[in-house]
Amino acid sequence: MYVWKCWRDTRSFFIVFLIIAAIVMPVAAVVCVGTHLVEDFGTSAFSTTFGLILTAVALGLGALGAIHEFAEKTAHFLFTKPRSRAYFIWVGWAVGFAELLAVATVNFLAGWATLSHYSKNPFHSTLNGSMTTENFLDALIFCVWAYCLTYSLTVLLRNGLKGLGASMGILFGLPYFAAAVRWRWHIDLPLVPGLPLGTLPLAISNIIWVLIAVLFVLATQLVVERAEI
Amino acid sequence: MNELAIDSKDLAKTYGSIRAVGGINLTVPRGAIYGFLGRNGAGKTTTIKMLLGLTRPTAGAAQVFGMDVSTERMAILRRTAFVSEKKTLYPSLTATELVRFSRGFYPTWSDGAVEKYARLLEIPMKQRFEKLSNGNQTKVWLLLALSQGADLLILDEPTTALDPVSVDQLLHVLAEDGLDRGCTVFFSSHQLEEVERIAEYAGVLDHGKLLMESRLDDIKSEFRLITAAGNSLPSQTSPQVLSVAVEGSFYRYVVTKDADSFAAGLSKSGATITNIAPLSLREIFLQLVRKEQ
Repeated sequence: MYVWKCWRDTRSFFIVFLIIAAIVMPVAAVVCVGTHLVEDFGTSAFSTTFGLILTAVALGLGALGAIHEFAEKTAHFLFTKPRSRAYFIWVGWAVGFAELLAVATVNFLAGWATLSHYSKNPFHSTLNGSMTTENFLDALIFCVWAYCLTYSLTVLLRNGLKGLGASMGILFGLPYFAAAVRWRWHIDLPLVPGLPLGTLPLAISNIIWVLIAVLFVLATQLVVERAEI
Repeated sequence: MNELAIDSKDLAKTYGSIRAVGGINLTVPRGAIYGFLGRNGAGKTTTIKMLLGLTRPTAGAAQVFGMDVSTERMAILRRTAFVSEKKTLYPSLTATELVRFSRGFYPTWSDGAVEKYARLLEIPMKQRFEKLSNGNQTKVWLLLALSQGADLLILDEPTTALDPVSVDQLLHVLAEDGLDRGCTVFFSSHQLEEVERIAEYAGVLDHGKLLMESRLDDIKSEFRLITAAGNSLPSQTSPQVLSVAVEGSFYRYVVTKDADSFAAGLSKSGATITNIAPLSLREIFLQLVRKEQ
């Protein structure tokens, strides 16, 4: 049904990135074997590739997985099915979210398994210090935020490319905007998802960031429910 | 039990200053085939969209099987199949995949009907929707609607792009299979011959106003073309006289209601009635729309 359609729309992109997520760390390790690079730089490479791959997946799935009924002019077909519009919004979101988590899990496990092979403590590098689960959680929160934002903007702007462009503009423009505000008015704006909000503990901040991300989708649902087809 | 499949009261829709539908009262009996006639832009599609909950009425109310279109949309959609005026579907899916997609939404779905109509309408089921001809795309829409096992079929220009053979098959399917199941068929069209062939009821919409709605036989028996010969006969239209055409000493009146008494009046005025003939649906439609203009 609709879950199958969402899976069909995103499966190629998902499988490609699943393969990338599974092979990047093992391949890098093979290239570096014998040079101690894996042991020394592996942890930072691990967290960097985790964040990069996941960001690309979040943006791509947000743009691909969102409902494209308005762009494809099929809204009159889908929205005359006996399901609420909210159902379609959230099913599309859930399928993409599950794929995002799957890529994150595979990438994490592949990196961890590779580094475990070369080091007793895969989360510790003599050169770059220790990684904690928070390093990965920060990246994941950022990507969930990016995914929800891209998904919402794609639905609202009724076009995958426009949604992706607007989302990237916001995501990568926010830190510059925050820096400009800090420079001009000496005010710190908490605008980078995954980082603490003011003096709040990181865990609480992360929960708030995720809730904000979900609010984007909720707002999208309300707009689509009121849309005239 | 409500005897009407569709019942609207002063249903209206405006877009800014444009009045798309201006307070219409539709009554579609259960189990009937109802032809919803109108020119392009008459408001047919907007009315259908309001019945399906795709757009909200500005005023008035409508019920489908006694259920309010504003508050009981899901229950209505479970029992309603729809063929849109725009025959677009997911371009990369084949007809088989579209069947797979649609099947799960309806407990009354019939795979037997899929097989039957795919064979009857000769639909290439394995071809992507975007690769199908316009006619075959329309057939896929029809296949999905007919296989749904719905109590109400709402078809917006269902014969668009269909060849005459396919139109014939479709009309046969609607008239035979639809009525056998007790299904109500509400279809909009400006192909008057199609409506005349299968519809039991008809409504004529123009500029958002329902000009007429009745049983088709009643409509046809109500309108008459009276040809009279004489001098200085009345040439003014009235609620009873839709149009008057004068050619020399011959006057051609299109009258509604009481044609015989009108003809008798003409005779008293010295006219010679040369013919009183029924009108086809096409002629009635044209007269109504012209009068409205």
